Amino acid sequence: MYEKREMTFRVFRFNAQSDYLPAYKRYDLTVSKEEVMLDVLNRIKWEQDPTLSYRRSCRHGICGSCGIKVNGRAIVACKENVWQLAELYGEEMVIEPQDTRLAYKDLIIDKSRFWESYRAVTPWLEGPVEEKPQKEHLIEPNYAEQIDEADHCIQCGSCFYSCPAAAVNEAYLGPAALALAYRFSTDVRDKSHANRLRAVNEPGSGIWDCVKCVECSETCPKGVEPLSKIFALHNQTFEAGVHKRNVATRHAVVFKRSIEKHGPLDEAENVRYSEGSLGALRHMREAFAMLRRGKLPLPGRVHKSHNHSEVKTLIQSASKNKF
Amino acid sequence: MGTPVHKFDVVIVGAGLAGCAAAKTAQEAGLKTVVLTKLHPLRSHSGAAQGGINAALSESDTASHEFDTVKGSDYLGDQDAIELMTREAPQTIRWLEHMGAVFSRNDDGTIAQRPFGGQSHPRACYAKDRTGLTCLQTIYEQAHRAGVQFLDEWYVGDLLYDKSSDQAYGVVAYSLKETEFAIFNAKAVMFATGGYARAFGINSNAHANTGDGLSILARHGLPLEDMEFVQFHPTGLAGSGILISEAARGEGGHLYNSENERFMEKYAPSKMELAPRDVVSRAIEKEILEGRGVGPNKDSVWLDLTHLPEEIIETRLPELRDLAITFLGRDMAKERILIRATAHYSMGGIPTDIDGRVRSGAERKVSGLYAAGECACVSIHGANRLGANSLLEAIFFGRRAGEAIVQDIGQLELREAIGTESDRLSGEVSALLRNNGPDTVHAIRTDLQQSMTRNAGVFRTRASLLEQKAYLATLRDRFSQMRVGDKSKLYNTDLQEALELGHMLDFSAFIVEGALAREESRGAHYREDFPERNDERFLQHTFGTMDPSGKIALEYTPVTLGRHTPQARTY
Ligand SMILES: Cc1cc2nc3c(=O)[nH]c(=O)nc-3n(C[C@H](O)[C@H](O)[C@H](O)COP(=O)(O)OP(=O)(O)OC[C@H]3O[C@@H](n4cnc5c(N)ncnc54)[C@H](O)[C@@H]3O)c2cc1C
Ligand code: SF4
Ligand code: SF4
Ligand code: FES
Repeated sequence: MYEKREMTFRVFRFNAQSDYLPAYKRYDLTVSKEEVMLDVLNRIKWEQDPTLSYRRSCRHGICGSCGIKVNGRAIVACKENVWQLAELYGEEMVIEPQDTRLAYKDLIIDKSRFWESYRAVTPWLEGPVEEKPQKEHLIEPNYAEQIDEADHCIQCGSCFYSCPAAAVNEAYLGPAALALAYRFSTDVRDKSHANRLRAVNEPGSGIWDCVKCVECSETCPKGVEPLSKIFALHNQTFEAGVHKRNVATRHAVVFKRSIEKHGPLDEAENVRYSEGSLGALRHMREAFAMLRRGKLPLPGRVHKSHNHSEVKTLIQSASKNKF
Repeated sequence: MGTPVHKFDVVIVGAGLAGCAAAKTAQEAGLKTVVLTKLHPLRSHSGAAQGGINAALSESDTASHEFDTVKGSDYLGDQDAIELMTREAPQTIRWLEHMGAVFSRNDDGTIAQRPFGGQSHPRACYAKDRTGLTCLQTIYEQAHRAGVQFLDEWYVGDLLYDKSSDQAYGVVAYSLKETEFAIFNAKAVMFATGGYARAFGINSNAHANTGDGLSILARHGLPLEDMEFVQFHPTGLAGSGILISEAARGEGGHLYNSENERFMEKYAPSKMELAPRDVVSRAIEKEILEGRGVGPNKDSVWLDLTHLPEEIIETRLPELRDLAITFLGRDMAKERILIRATAHYSMGGIPTDIDGRVRSGAERKVSGLYAAGECACVSIHGANRLGANSLLEAIFFGRRAGEAIVQDIGQLELREAIGTESDRLSGEVSALLRNNGPDTVHAIRTDLQQSMTRNAGVFRTRASLLEQKAYLATLRDRFSQMRVGDKSKLYNTDLQEALELGHMLDFSAFIVEGALAREESRGAHYREDFPERNDERFLQHTFGTMDPSGKIALEYTPVTLGRHTPQARTY
C-alpha cells in the first residue's frame, strides 16, 4: 500500500475568455497505487495550481461529471486507476477535455450538443402516470432484463465524444441518446414505441448513420454497450415496419449480404452500395481513421471467416425480417 | 447596472429527488417553476444511492416499518411524520414504478425486496445496486416532461428573507460559467440541497454535499435542528471512505477483526452484522481503537463476502464489486476487503413540519419557505436513520412540499425584490477574490475535515468537543484571510470551493454546539462521558440559531410521540 510512483501529466489549459490558444502545462506528481485519475486532478488543483478547472462530484463513477480524455482515450476520471493507465501509457500522460474544440476552461467543455441529443429522444416514459397507484405493473424478470443495462447510462459523454459519426455529422444523435431511445422503446410500460422508432429511423440523425466502429461500446464505463442497442433498434424498426427504403436500410441489406458472403464486414463496399460511389466520398475521413485502427480492411481484401458456413446458417435463422 | 431579477411562482434550489419531486408537482398544478442547481440534475447525489428504498409492499408489514423507524431513530423521530411516511410508502414506490423506475423484480413480476440493517422484514426495494440512479433518472425525466425549467450550474448563495414579516421571497445565485449574478424572485422558495457529511475527513459523500442550504438559512438567523446527529456508515472503503452499501451485509457479508473474530457477536448477538448502522460503526471503531484493526495502518476491519456464490455478487452487487476493485485493487468475490466507518448521512437540518413548511421557531413558520430531502429535518430519522429510508423521505416529502406549495400559493403574495439585494452575495464573492492571506481553500478544508472526524466523530467527549469549538474559531480566522488562487470569472471552481467551505465552517459549529450540550448518548450521537440515553433531559429536538457574530444559542423542543413509548434500544 505504500508503493509510490513518479509521474508526469501534461494538462490542457485554456480560458476561453482570456486565452487565444490553449497550452499544455506540465505537472509532476508522486502517485500511489490506490489513486484514480480524479485524485490526480484534485491534487494538481489543491497542491499545485488552484486555477485548474474540471467538473466532478460523486467521486465514484456514478454521477457522470468527470469525463475527460487521457492520451486521446475517453475515460471517467474517478473510475480509472492511475497505475492501471500507466500500464498502457507509461509514466507520462496527456490530459485533455473530451473535445478540445469545445473547451470553455481547461477540462470543462460546452456540452450543449450532447444534452440536445438527450432531449431529442423524448427522454421519459410515455403514458399515463397514476398518482396513487395501489399496484405496480407486473413485469417478469426476463422482460425487465430486456432493457439490458441501457438504464445504467450516467450521461458521462465518453461515447459521444469518441464517436466518429457524431464528430463529422452534426445532426447525428450519437450513441448515448440512441441507447436511451432503446431504453424506452424496450420498456413494456412505454406507450410510444412507434413514435420513438420513427424518430430514430430518420436518415441523418438516427440509427442508420452509425458506422458501427464499436468505439462507443469499448469506451463506455458502465457497460451500456450503445452499439448493441443501435443494432437492436435496427431490428425493432423492421419489426414495427417503420423503416423506409433509404440509404440507411440499404446499408442494412448490404450489411447482411456482406456477412453472408465473407463473414466479416466489407465496410468499404457497404458504404458504396448504400450511398453510391460519390456519397461514399463523404466518409473518407472516417474511413482513414478506421484504417489506421485496423478496423477497415482495404476494399476487395476482406477475409472470409473460418466458420463461414456457420455464419450463413446463423444469418438465415436469425433473419426475422424480409429485406 | 442592477442585478437582473427573474420572477417565478416557485423557485427550488436543488435537483435531487426532493427538488425534482416538488418541481414536478408544482409545475403540473400550473405554477411557473424553476429549479436551480449547482450540478446538472442527473449529477445530484441521489444518483449515488445503491442499496434500496423502503416500503412495506405487503399490508401486514406497515406497522413494523413504522416501528422499526421509530426504534431506529432512538425515539427522537417524530411519530406523526413516521406514521404518515411509512403508511404512504407503498404508493410512493408504485408511483415511481409507474413513472418508469427500473426496479428489480420477483419471478411473479412484482417488485423485489431485500433485507436491510435494523429492519424486521426484507422491505428495501432495489434496482440491482443502483437504486438511487433509477429513482433520480425517473423523477427528473418526469419533471422535465412536465415542463419544469432547470437551470444547471447555478450556485445559490443567499436567501431573500424579511425578518420582520418572517417571509421568504427568493434567492440570489450566480452562474458558475460566467460568475454572473441574478435574483430569482418568487412567491414560494424551496430548499432541497442535500446532505452535509462532507464536513468530515472520512466520508461517503459527493464533493457537492457541502450543506450550503443550511447555512444560507442560518445566516439569516433561522434555526437548524438536531445538527449533532450525523450517521457514520459502518462500511466505507479504507482510505477513501467511499461507500460499500449495506446491501453487502444484507446479502450476507461478515465482519472480522485481526483475531479473525466475527466481532459483532459481542455487540449485537441477535442481529449481528445487520444491527443498525450506529451500533455496527461503533463496534468497528472500538475494535480499531482497541488494537484489533487490520490493514497497513491497522485502521480498518475485514468485510468478507467470499462465502457467497460469485453469481450472487455478480447479479446483486456488481457495482460494489467494481468499487472495491477500483479503489482497493481487491475483488470481493475472491478476497476480503478493508472497510471502516465513514460519515454518511445528515439526520439534522432545516426544521420543517410534515408538509415541508420551514419553521422559524418551535411554534412559528416562515411564510413562503419550504424544505425537503436530506437538508431538511422533519424529523423522520431522529437520532439515527434506518438504511433505505432516506430515498423514500426525499421523494415522499419532496412531493408533499410541492403539494403544500400548490395549496399555499393563493395566499402567498410576491414581495418584489430589487436589484441591490444581491449585494450580500456579490460582496462575499469579491471579498474572497480580494483576500491574499497565506492559507488555501484546501488547507483549511482539510484541517476542518480531519478535526471534525477526530473530535466530533463516532466517539465524542466534552473535552474533544470543547477543543473542536475552539479550533473552529481559529479556522474561521484563517478563512477570513484565505486566498482564492483563481481570480478569473469563467468556471472559477476555486471560488466555488471557497464559498462552500464558508458554509461548512458555519454549519459545523452547529454540530459541535449541539453535541456538546447533549449530555447523553442517543442513536448516532455517542458521548463516551455520558454513555446512556437520558430521556428525562434529552427526549427533545435541538434548535440552534446563530447570531451575526457567529455565536450559537440552543433551545429544545418536544418530540412528537405516538403509540410507541420509548424503550431501551437493543438489537
Ligand atoms: C453513497 C451513498 C449511498 C446512499 N444509499 C442510500 C440507499 O441505498 N438508500 C437510501 O434510502 N438512501 C441512501 N443514501 C442517502 C440518499 O441518497 C440521500 O439522502 C438522498 O438522495 C438525498 O436527496 P436530496 O434530494 O435531498 O439531495 P441530493 O440528491 O443530494 O441533491 C442536492 C441538490 O442540491 C443542489 N445544490 C446543493 N447546494 C446548492 C447550491 N448552493 N446551489 C445550487 N444547487 C445546490 C445539488 O446540485 C443537487 O442537485 C445514500 C447516500 C450516499 C452518500
Ligand atoms: S458504433 Fe456507431 S454510435 Fe458507436 S461510436 Fe461508432 S459510429 Fe458512433
Ligand atoms: S452510454 Fe456509457 S459512455 Fe455513453 S454517456 Fe452513457 S455511460 Fe457514458
Ligand atoms: S465524479 Fe462522478 S463520475 Fe466521476
